[in-house]
Amino acid sequence: MQQELLVLWTALVIYVCGGSIAVFGAVLGRRPERTVLGLLLAGLLLHTASIVLRWERLGHGPFVTMFEILSSNVWSLLLVFAVAYWRIRALRPAAAVVMPVLFVMMGWLLMTSPGEGHLPPTYHTVWLYIHIGFGKVFLGAVLVAVGIAGIVLLRATAFGAARFARLPGDAQLDELAFRFMAIGLIFETLMLVAGAIWAQDAWGRYWAWDPLETWAFLTWLCLAFALHARLAFKIAPRTGAWLILAVFVIAFLTFFGVPFVSTSPHKGAV
Amino acid sequence: MDAQTLVAGMEAGSIGRRALVQLASLRLTLAVIVLLAAGVIAAYFLHGATTWPVAIPLLLFAINLGAAVAVHPAFRRQAALLVFHLALIAIVLLVAAGRLTYLKGRLELAQGEAFAGRLTQAEQGPLHFGRLERAGFVNDGFSIHYAAGLRRGATRNHVSWTDAGGMMRSAVIGDNDPLLRAGYRFYTSFNKGFAPTFLWQPRGGRPEIGAVHLPAYPLHEYRQAQEWQPPGSATSLWIMLMFDEVVLDIGKATEFRLPETHSLVVRLNDVRHELQPGDALRLPDGVLTYQGLRSWMGYTVFHDFTLPWLLAACALAVASLGWHFWSKFSARPWDR
Repeated sequence: MQQELLVLWTALVIYVCGGSIAVFGAVLGRRPERTVLGLLLAGLLLHTASIVLRWERLGHGPFVTMFEILSSNVWSLLLVFAVAYWRIRALRPAAAVVMPVLFVMMGWLLMTSPGEGHLPPTYHTVWLYIHIGFGKVFLGAVLVAVGIAGIVLLRATAFGAARFARLPGDAQLDELAFRFMAIGLIFETLMLVAGAIWAQDAWGRYWAWDPLETWAFLTWLCLAFALHARLAFKIAPRTGAWLILAVFVIAFLTFFGVPFVSTSPHKGAV
Repeated sequence: MDAQTLVAGMEAGSIGRRALVQLASLRLTLAVIVLLAAGVIAAYFLHGATTWPVAIPLLLFAINLGAAVAVHPAFRRQAALLVFHLALIAIVLLVAAGRLTYLKGRLELAQGEAFAGRLTQAEQGPLHFGRLERAGFVNDGFSIHYAAGLRRGATRNHVSWTDAGGMMRSAVIGDNDPLLRAGYRFYTSFNKGFAPTFLWQPRGGRPEIGAVHLPAYPLHEYRQAQEWQPPGSATSLWIMLMFDEVVLDIGKATEFRLPETHSLVVRLNDVRHELQPGDALRLPDGVLTYQGLRSWMGYTVFHDFTLPWLLAACALAVASLGWHFWSKFSARPWDR
């Protein structure tokens, strides 16, 4: 376990270096994009190695304990963001918004016990991977939208307007952000459908309003509301940005908050 | 038709059209989404009241979507959007149909016992007219692996049944693998335990087999006792299973099994009897012979004919939504 933790901590340090450079670059009006991308990829490589070592040791993926869930989500969110960062040059300054969010998750991960958990028998199914995979793409897409929304909101201040002046206009960024939200809607729908198929096989019901199901559906409704509101009211980019932040907060609480307030979310371990 | 009737008809048509346009409003969609979210939150906090707070907004949602499809010309230009909204309407209608006709229940079967359609607990929609007795099967026994620390592993339950052609069939069911019989899905549960089995010979009647399902094991390890009446008898007995050995060792990996040696305490009024397999006990209305110990398995049963249609509607909804966004986004770059 020491080896996998050492590799993980090294990855986190590299992430923090990359994120800090992105934040300072934005503050100082510089664009150290290649360095940031290089550090993110190096961190991802080591993080992947850490997850593989743990998987090999325990015989199951990072699905059970809060440590594993946080670690795998930091990994998947960074992977989605790194791909978006690499492919869409215009959103690279969004790293200054996204990385601090991930710093919070990394800090939480460091404070969580890396102890082992027991993989419940109902988790031995391919639907686990499908359900979780869709969920990770969903949250990753919304996180990228949050980065763009953050830039739109920061540009409302004199400080932000000067730092992000070279980026496309708010209307264009708003359009890009909502395209990521649309991707998020599709993948959250797929996550809910895959989860329902798994629940039907594992617990004999496809939907039972358990805390995670309820909050995942509420997140879906909020996402649908945000997309529909943009269509129905032709809302301003800043209002759209606030809506995106609201959806992310609810999604984040669903993913990482509900397991704290409920004693029986999706356990199946009895 | 005179001119006045024609004008009145046109006015009525116009009012109907205006009402339909209002029902199709995108703003109403937003209001319905908010109402549905409020209903879901209410159902979440008001335990047990999950139907109406969610059903009413869903009904409004279906009406709003239906009116939008009928009124908005965008749906005639964008086939993917039309298919997505029709699929959403289908999902709402299927969920409603499912709630009217579903069945959810529990049952317990001792090893070797056949399911004859009787449930220990059930809830069902008002229009469920199922034939559970057609879904008969026999519990042929199970194995459950435990990791150290009594952490439950895979459940493998052997079941058998006779198919419509009279052929004997068998299967192994367990976690993630239900038994499908006559439209019903039978799932093993974490409830299982020991079942002392008796041959009951009532005075002047036909002999019957009866099994006492003791409280679940290892959940109620120290409460292996139960009140029981032999089949058709008015005599009430108190039955307790006694064994000294450690059946499931918490310190190492193990398998669920019956105790190797045990005795059965049967108390009738204030008289205590200790029985071994083969021992008989004379009761006021017959003779009870202890045959031995078996296991019992608890099952949940679920029936909802809409499941495959619901899955198809969901797949159609996601595919058409993806198609809609793809065609919309690929038609115009984001930065123009």
